[in-house]
Amino acid sequence: MLRGGPAGARNAPSLEQINAEVFTLTYGSIVRQLISDFEDIEEVNKQLEQMGYNMGIRLVDEFLAKAKITRCSSFRDTADVVAKQALPMFLNVSANVANWSPDQTECSLVLTDNPLADFVELPEEYRELKYCNVLAGVVRGALEMVNMEVECRWVSDMLKGDDCYELRIKLKEHRDEKFPFKDDD
Amino acid sequence: MKMGIICVAFIGPQNNPIYLRSMDPATDDQYLKLHYIVHCALDAVEEKVLLKRGPGDSQDAYLGLLYPTEDYRVYGYLTNTHVKIILLLDDEAPIKDEAVLRVLRRLHSLYVDTTSNPFHKFGLPITSPRFDAQLEQIVALYPRPGASLGGFTT
Repeated sequence: MLRGGPAGARNAPSLEQINAEVFTLTYGSIVRQLISDFEDIEEVNKQLEQMGYNMGIRLVDEFLAKAKITRCSSFRDTADVVAKQALPMFLNVSANVANWSPDQTECSLVLTDNPLADFVELPEEYRELKYCNVLAGVVRGALEMVNMEVECRWVSDMLKGDDCYELRIKLKEHRDEKFPFKDDD
Repeated sequence: MKMGIICVAFIGPQNNPIYLRSMDPATDDQYLKLHYIVHCALDAVEEKVLLKRGPGDSQDAYLGLLYPTEDYRVYGYLTNTHVKIILLLDDEAPIKDEAVLRVLRRLHSLYVDTTSNPFHKFGLPITSPRFDAQLEQIVALYPRPGASLGGFTT
């Protein structure tokens, strides 16, 4: 079973592919290992997010190099690009953007399918585990590299019985480009 | 397709019981008897495996009818990782081997999906509700002539 080379998303160029089960099982092993190393579930959530952040700051360059997109004029455009181009390119799933806040700074990415969590059944003792927290970190890291500081958190999780995966993204601020030298030098 | 599936059992490589489920409410108080029959089936499985190791025999997972008891017929299936799937059918209508093989293949596939869960612990009995539900679905495709689903899990 191969992922990547998406049939639906025409905008996403194909990258090298990996067997989906290898990917899912690898991620599952990482989560299991983190749990046995840290034992505290909150700490594991933080570590997953941090791992995602480190991935995101690097993935964004790859994405921008391979995808042919124009500059996003608003946070709305950014959210659409993440949902309809970035996610299909890297995970071969597409997401919908929904639940916009009135001031357009907060929205949700809704996924109905998540290859990270295939076959996973969360046992009772890990109820607090945010299994897909790595994705929250990836989005946060990627957007930070394009000068958007966001906060990402999971509000719905199919592993916990909800009917979809919903990631809430909140734009905290646009950071202006920092120049390494002062003007009045 | 009618098939009277009385009991489904999964036994691990060290002959440890992984899952035993009675699908028939009439056998609720007979769990010891079912355990006993499944246990005897393991001996029959080993015999069949020894017979099959003759020259030129293919390594087939499906072992066919292991032995008939007074009320049931016992079918076996051995995976390459030495997990045995034992199916107890009641003695009513004659059943084609291919139908039993299809059920066993589906059960095998369910087992593989369940063990792909990173939180699954090998060697311990399966307690996942999703496994129970999907097993019921597979069995429901082959209803007993007459009865409804019931039974217990041990």
